[in-house]
Formats: sequence, C-alpha cells, structure tokens
Amino acid sequence: MKILLVEDEPALLATLVEALRQGGYVVEVAADYAQAADKIKVYRYDCVLLDLTLPDGNGLDLLRTLKADSSPAGVLVISARDSLDDRVAGLDLGADDYLVKPFHLSELNARLRAIIRRQRFQGHSHLVFRDLVVWPDQAEVLVHGEALALTRKEYDLLLYLLANPGRVLTKEAIAEHLCGDSVDATDSFDFIYTHLKNLRKKLQEKGAENYIRTMYGVGYKLSVE
Amino acid sequence: MKFLAVINRYHLVLSAGLFAAGSVALYTGTERAVRNEVGEQLQNHRLELEARLAAGRPLPEPLYREQYSASARPRPLGFSDTLLLDPTEGSMVPHLQLTFRAATPGQPPVWVTLRKSMLETEELLLATLSSMLVMLALALTGNLLLHRYLSGRLWAPFQRTLVALRGYDLQQHRPLALPGSKIEEFAELNQALTHLSRRLVADYENLREFTANAAHETQTPLAIMQAQLEQLMQLPALTDDATAAPLLADLYGATRRLSRLHQALGLLSRIENGQFTQAEPIDLAGLVREKAAQLAPLLDARELALHLHLGASPPRQLHPGLADSLLHNLLHNAIRHNVPGGDITVHLTANELAVSNSGPVISGDPSRFFERFRKHNAASESPGLGLSIVQQICAYYGFGLSYDFAPAGARHTLRVRFEPAAKNPAERKKLAPAAPRTV
Repeated sequence: MKILLVEDEPALLATLVEALRQGGYVVEVAADYAQAADKIKVYRYDCVLLDLTLPDGNGLDLLRTLKADSSPAGVLVISARDSLDDRVAGLDLGADDYLVKPFHLSELNARLRAIIRRQRFQGHSHLVFRDLVVWPDQAEVLVHGEALALTRKEYDLLLYLLANPGRVLTKEAIAEHLCGDSVDATDSFDFIYTHLKNLRKKLQEKGAENYIRTMYGVGYKLSVE
Repeated sequence: MKFLAVINRYHLVLSAGLFAAGSVALYTGTERAVRNEVGEQLQNHRLELEARLAAGRPLPEPLYREQYSASARPRPLGFSDTLLLDPTEGSMVPHLQLTFRAATPGQPPVWVTLRKSMLETEELLLATLSSMLVMLALALTGNLLLHRYLSGRLWAPFQRTLVALRGYDLQQHRPLALPGSKIEEFAELNQALTHLSRRLVADYENLREFTANAAHETQTPLAIMQAQLEQLMQLPALTDDATAAPLLADLYGATRRLSRLHQALGLLSRIENGQFTQAEPIDLAGLVREKAAQLAPLLDARELALHLHLGASPPRQLHPGLADSLLHNLLHNAIRHNVPGGDITVHLTANELAVSNSGPVISGDPSRFFERFRKHNAASESPGLGLSIVQQICAYYGFGLSYDFAPAGARHTLRVRFEPAAKNPAERKKLAPAAPRTV
C-alpha cells in the first residue's frame, strides 16, 4: 500500500514515516506544496496524507487538483487548523477523513486502514488475525469460524486493536477512539478496563488465544507473536 | 432629533428675532414717513392760507371742523401732536397740528392751527404685524418645503451610506464599497468610511491569522512531542524496564492535556472574535441523544443514570461545532461534578435546556463558576474552561444562562434559555440588508 505523506515539519515527517513503515506501508514524502503537486501528477497512491498549512501553498488546492484529476487515491487531511470551517471545506472538497493535530498515531493507523479498505475493496474485504476473521461492513466477528456477539464499544475496541497490531495503544488513544475526541485525561479511564475485560472473556469463551496484552501503566497491545 | 428638525428650530428662532426687529423698524419707519408727509402737507396749506391773507382775502370757513381753527389769543407756534375725538368713529384719532401767526395788514393778528389726522397707531401696528406675520409664515413654509426637498435629494447619498453601514458585516471580509458623491462633504465621509472599513478588515484578518497561527504554531510542536512519545513507547527496550513506560505514559498524557487546554483557549478566542457565523438548523434533541451515546462509557464507569426528557424543540440556527461544544460541555460538566451512583437529568423544551445533576455541595459564589480556570477542586486536573465555553457560546447566541443549587437532594442545575429564534446572530444577519458586494 503506497502512501504519499505531505508534511512540512521535518521532525513530525520523520516520526510519521517511521510509524507508517512499521505499519507496513510504502511511504513517499513531500515536504512542500511544489513537491507534492509534482508527485501527485506523476505517481499513483492508495492514499495521500495531506497537511493543509504548507510553506508555499494551501493543501486544499492539492486536494482540488487530486479531485480534478479524478484520482482514485484516498485523502486524509491532517492539520493543526481545527477551525471547523477548514474541516468542512476539506470534507466538502472530497477528503475522506480529517484528523486534527496533535493526533494519536494509532488513530491515524485506524483511519488510514478504513480509507484504504473502502478505496481498494469497495468494502468487500475482511480482516484476518490469527484465529479471528472480521467483516467490517457487516460488523461480523468470527472466531474459528464461529460468530462472536459483541457490544458496539467492544467491537470498536477490537477493530481499533486490529488496526494497530503489535503497537502499544495508550489509554488516551483508546478512550478518545471510543468516546470521540470529547473525553480527556481528567475523566476516569476505568471504562476501558471494563470493556477490555469483557472482550477478552468473550474471546476466550470461543476458544481464541489471549493476544490482548496489558502494558502496565501505559495501555494495551495486540500481540503478534 | 433629526438634523432637519434641529435646523428648522434654529431657523424658527432666527426668523422670529429678525421679524420682531423688522416689525419695529417697519412700524417706526412708516410712522416717520407718514409724519413727514403730513407735516409737508400742513406747511403747504399754511403757505396757501398766508398767500390768501396777503392778498387781502379773509380766511375761508373750514370745510371740516378739525381742518383748522383760528384764535385771537396767542398759541404756541410750530408742530405739535394732539388727539381729537372722531365723532363718527367715537375714538380718539392722533393729529399733527401746525400753528402759525397770520398777520393781515390793518387787522389784529390771528393764530391759525392747521390739523391733519395721522394713521391710527393701532391700525398701523396691526397692518405692520399682520403683513410681517404673513411674511414669516411664507418664509418658514418655504424653508420647510425647501429642506424637505433637499433632504430627499441632497441627503440621499448620506442615506445610502447609512444603509450600507447598517448592513455592513465584517465577517464577509470585504471593505465597504461606497459610491462617490458630487457633494464634497459626503464624498469625504464615504472616503473616510471606506478607509476605516479597509483597516477594520485588515485588522480583523490579522487577528484571525494570529489566532490560527498561534494554534498552528503551538499544536505543531505538541504534535511532534506526542507522535515521538508514542513512537518511544513502541520500543521493545521498554519492556525490560518497568519504570520507564509509565513515565512515558504520563508525559504522553500531559502533552495531550496541554494540547486540549490550547484548543479550548483557541475556541474561546474564536468565539469572542465571532468567527462562527455560519449556521445550520440543528436538532438539539438529536444532538443530545448523540452526545449521550458518545459519553455512555463515562456514564457507565461512574454508574451514573441519565434521564432524557426531550420535548418538541424547533431546530435552531446554530454553528454545528458550537452546538456540539455547548452540549458536550454541559453534559461533561454534569458527569465530572457528580457522585458515583448519581444521576443526570436533561430537560429540553422549546424554550430552554436544563441539565441537572446530583453532586457534592460546592462552596463559593455561583456566578464565579463561569470564570476561566475556575476549579471546584484545586487539585483537579481539569483546566476549568468548560463552563466558560458554555457561557461564551450562550452569550454569542444571546441565550440566557443560569445556575442554581437545590440543597434538597443536592441538585445542581444549569439552564440555557433560548431567546426567540430571530434574536440569534445568524437570523439577524439574514434580516439585515445585504451589504454591497464588490467583485
């Protein structure tokens, strides 16, 4: 899966590239508008990660170019401008999703996966992880071929873990993923523990292996070993 | 008071003064002219009579009793005033009389007094005043009509400027486009206003850019910190050291808090700058349900019961982001300041939204709860901006906001009273005439 990352901040660019490569993506980078404009004309990408504020132009114009060329690439806008108007403008212009900086890398992963799934398979795809099969469009989970009944939040949690195999997920990232951006560190994160406990129990009842690890004081991780 | 009315008032005072002085001048002038004329006539008659006497002819019998009288006894010579009774009118009429000594050769001298009636003072006064009053009335009416005509014509550019100013909306980021005017003063006014609006637009743009830049500049380093901390947490080496990972996690949490704090402050300043002008009809009941579902895990974790009483409420013209923030902060506040096992009740009617919750008694002045960085508990990790945001949003839309506490059952209630829908800025904007747009 080939991704173009348009980001002008070198330190952030380097970190994002590292995280995306760890997630199994082929990443190309553009540090400014001109580079990005050249690359989207010449190459094809599965998804473009687009920063709106660039030193030599507005990312929204790149989005316009992509849409004018009817590019099949998905577009995920990442920007520090969280003024709602930009968000709306981005989505109106045909961006697939919008993330406000700072964001959790695990959230970026999850959104990216969702975009690419829609983009490449028009939804007819399933995820396989060890003894698990998930059909995201039907919200169906199978363990050893047997259907697993999950609550909405448990299902969201499982999908979030599956989008980030082998990565440590912080409590903050999980809480915000489940409750939207709205929860913050002042809220008790106990509910994550409750949901995870229930999810683990249900998985074990169906005979799944225990691959959800608790990282003490940090969060959780879907173990790939 | 209207400009025209003020002008007319001054005109009235000035005209009245001028006409009073004019009346006095006219009266005395007329009187003097009449006296001169009458005096001249009397002198002519005297010459005539003297010539007659010199020719040896006797004085004629006077045609009218008051025409003249002769007396053998000496009388004071020269002009004098006297009042004679006019028997037909039955009133005293002022007369001018001229007395002279007429000597006929060979006869004793006689003193002849010629008389002629003058205009009656009252009549003269009446004539003067009435003609002056007619003049005054004509002049004032003329003035009024002229001004009315002028205000329609000459003041039209001023009215147009006024309409343009009333309809002016800084949010459109356009300076005023006022037409030129043939009248120098209005042309200058329009020029000054256009200049002013250009500066306003520029300043406003600067402010907006500053806010956006400040958010960008702070969020970017925070984004780097957060991303790199998250990458650090992925290091396999961390599993060997049990103390390092929680340290990193705390750092991560603190970064997140800092970024949220900044977002909240940015939101407050953007509301104050009125940068949320777009609005769409928002179904508040639907939004309350949505937020409740989103916050369900938090409610569960604290074992809070949520009761929704969502009555029929017409859709309101609100900015979607602000509506979301308003409900989120109200609900979040009710969750945060609650007791485990407590409850939250949301009442929505056409006129108000009330969120009440059980919670510990809070000391302090309730009006200060809306202050920024106000914390009910100093150790709380919350920056204390939630209610400030609620208050700002309510102020922005002209909603009333009140807090009360019922000691029975220890219930805290926050009430948002919606004003009539037309009072919110989005509606007002629609009603106001559109400012001229330049392309």
